[in-house]
Amino acid sequence: MTAKMEASEGKMPHNKLLTYGLVIAVVGTYLTYLNVLTGVAVFSFFGGIAAVAAIWWGSDTIKHLCSYGLGTGVPSAGMIAFGSGAIAMIVGTKFGIASPIVTVILAAILGAVIGYTANNIINMNIPVMIMSLMELAIVGALTMLGFASMATGSFEFNQLIIGSMSLSVENAGAAAGGAQTFLVTAIPQYGNSLIGGAALAVIFFLGALALQHPFNACLGPNESQDRTLMLALSCGFLSMIVVAVISLVFLGLLAGVINLVISLIAWFYCYKTYIDLSKRDAYAWLDSKPIIEVGGDQ
Amino acid sequence: MSALGGKAAGGDSINPVGTVVGLVIILVSIGITAVLGSSLVIPLIGIIVGGALIAFGVHFVPVGGAPAAMGQAPGIATGVAMLAAGAGLAGLFGGAWAFETTGDFLISIIGGAVGGGLMMAITCLMVNATYVFAMGIPAASGKIAKDPITGDTFPEYKSQGTEGHGLPFISFVGGVIGGLIAGLGGTIIYIELLDAYSTGLATLMQAKPEAIAPLAISLAGIFAIGFFLVNAVLAAYNITGTIEGPHDPKFKRVPRAIIGCAVASAFCGLISLLLVTNIGM
Amino acid sequence: MEEIVLGIGITALAGALATVAGAAEDTESDIGSQGDPNSQVQLAPQMGYIHRIFNKAVSGEPPAYGLWCAIGAGVAWAFLQLNYNPALAIILGSIVAVFVQGIYCTSGYLGRTASLAKFKQPVYIDILKSLTSVTMAHAFVAIFCTTAVCYLMSAALHHPFALPLLGLIWGIALGAAGSASGNPFYGKERQYQNQKFGAGVPISASGNIVRYAEAGQRSSLDNGWFTTKFAGPASGICFGLIVFLELWRTVLFEKALAGWGAVIAGIVLILVFTFIDRWIEVWGRKTYGPYTEPEETSS
Repeated sequence: MTAKMEASEGKMPHNKLLTYGLVIAVVGTYLTYLNVLTGVAVFSFFGGIAAVAAIWWGSDTIKHLCSYGLGTGVPSAGMIAFGSGAIAMIVGTKFGIASPIVTVILAAILGAVIGYTANNIINMNIPVMIMSLMELAIVGALTMLGFASMATGSFEFNQLIIGSMSLSVENAGAAAGGAQTFLVTAIPQYGNSLIGGAALAVIFFLGALALQHPFNACLGPNESQDRTLMLALSCGFLSMIVVAVISLVFLGLLAGVINLVISLIAWFYCYKTYIDLSKRDAYAWLDSKPIIEVGGDQ
Repeated sequence: MSALGGKAAGGDSINPVGTVVGLVIILVSIGITAVLGSSLVIPLIGIIVGGALIAFGVHFVPVGGAPAAMGQAPGIATGVAMLAAGAGLAGLFGGAWAFETTGDFLISIIGGAVGGGLMMAITCLMVNATYVFAMGIPAASGKIAKDPITGDTFPEYKSQGTEGHGLPFISFVGGVIGGLIAGLGGTIIYIELLDAYSTGLATLMQAKPEAIAPLAISLAGIFAIGFFLVNAVLAAYNITGTIEGPHDPKFKRVPRAIIGCAVASAFCGLISLLLVTNIGM
Repeated sequence: MEEIVLGIGITALAGALATVAGAAEDTESDIGSQGDPNSQVQLAPQMGYIHRIFNKAVSGEPPAYGLWCAIGAGVAWAFLQLNYNPALAIILGSIVAVFVQGIYCTSGYLGRTASLAKFKQPVYIDILKSLTSVTMAHAFVAIFCTTAVCYLMSAALHHPFALPLLGLIWGIALGAAGSASGNPFYGKERQYQNQKFGAGVPISASGNIVRYAEAGQRSSLDNGWFTTKFAGPASGICFGLIVFLELWRTVLFEKALAGWGAVIAGIVLILVFTFIDRWIEVWGRKTYGPYTEPEETSS
């Protein structure tokens, strides 16, 4: 659906973005572990910040990949990133405290195989393909892991699949005195958890659109890196608002509201800065003014 | 008008080295899975077959992209990966429902295929209705002179300066077949994963299968969507932009998409089946 | 029997809601100029045609509506978990989704237009002020109806998928149906009203979109007014039929012939639609005839 793909030469080198994005995303996810250490859920918002960092880095990767002209538009890159990222992330969460690291490794391998497939079997022959799909798979997995840990306060599989406990009352038979006794056990409910209730699907698509939107929305001859990256931050924090609303279910009022307030403030700041940057880059900023004729061939 | 078409494609040929490496990846994935648990091999093979079917199905769907929205090229005016995803996921919806009520594998996968085909049949019909009744434009293909099914001739029905427009009957049939095959593939992946997870997770979590059912369904559903998107986008990369249907010359590229998606599915399947092994936890 | 009667009622309601959703979705995307026709809005300034059309670059419609409906259903699911009333939960979900949709719209317009500075396309900020709310209103209708359909499927028809997953699936299907049936009408018939009726747009005319209206300058609201006449209802029928028939064949026939009833009903329906399509195609060929004379390409 795009007319022309042109990417600006970035002021910030891609490798620097990659390093910052990866480190902040992994460290941020680990900071949610403070929930376990302190016993309160208020540190969950670090997961959201981790996810935003991953999106910020990934939007630059998409720019590099899509400037080659894939023939299918920018959004498909976001879809394949999160399709593979979702697989790596869900399996990665099984590894307890090592989950974020394992998720990165799994996603990297998965992305490399898909990149190899696209490049050498489907004959795309794009030099940055394997590296880009590797990065995108890691971005997808880390974004989902970050948002999932923000919503539930944990990045471990058991916490993501168990929503609440219900009490099961079983008749243990009549005791000797004739009185009925009951065996009460706590049974985990899977259906109302983040994964069991499929709320992860929302995170899946929230991330996929936030990842592809910045470059898709800003492409054109006057694309500039700082504006695109600011939009990436804005989209990331916007997604974080939605995740904060969902986190009300899992974290309760206090932690949920902290998530919501932090994401709202951060989003508002980034969105406002993005508008200012658009104003800076635009040819003119007009309100209720007629079409300026520049003389097309009519 | 898309200025993107075809720049990156390396012709219609198959890359022998890449293909051999791909086949090795498939065999290694099956081998590792067999070591981890012999009961997981059948689901993995199901996933590979499903992925290959999705790749095959996507090539049938007539997608015109931006030029189709202006009546400049035949096909449906949207992106190839997402249109196939729409049809395949509608099929997944039907297949999952049939599996819930009947529990029969064959009925469910065919039910899923019919769901995808029905979605595409209605969509293609409305495309033609819009072109004919609202825009007064008859259908004409740009790639072939004669419809191989009905024998209609196209060049004189093609308005000047365009590559054809609307959905000729062959493209309609291609769309329905694409929906059928993509729905079939998606449903196979879903049911195989559901099978592996509902038994595997029940043992792993030491819970009753009934209690684990919503979890297994959601996991299989999310994974199936993930697989679907990966395969559909890879197939779209193979198509590079637009395709008119089974009569399009680009359709000759389908073998390498099938191999590619089988490789990607094999490896993704291996990773997704790690969930029910003792690794981790 | 009572179960089937209830099922048919739910199916009819879901079909009706889906029809409204499809019509609203297409109108929204045409007012915002989303999806494939937007390539022309993007191209026009490069060809020297500065315009005042909304340039809502938010991916294609299927992924975008996949996200909006997934948010609607996901947030509704969250509020249902907190024991909110379903109607309220669905409305709250749709409000959150529409908020996200509106922000994406504005950032898409600002981003694309600012990147076109080289071609002297200014940012007309009043477009955002006057049209974003209109697209949000239509999107609200579409998201609310789709989320309600998903809720009916999950709560009343007992589909195994959880609500957010259903929202994602039907959101993508809604976007696919709406963009397929609605896009050509907006892209050719409205954007290129200056071209001949009954013919495709010649490639040489690309980018020369209509920028002036009957009086004054064309606003995207005029496009919505135009496309609601055909493309909106057509998309509504398309999505409504998909949802209705998909549910109908399962609810009514799933128990027949040991489970094969629904499959056979689906195949019969596909054949019926194939015949209707062929009839439309032949009718078009007969009624309009071939393009005997060569046409002039106007550009």
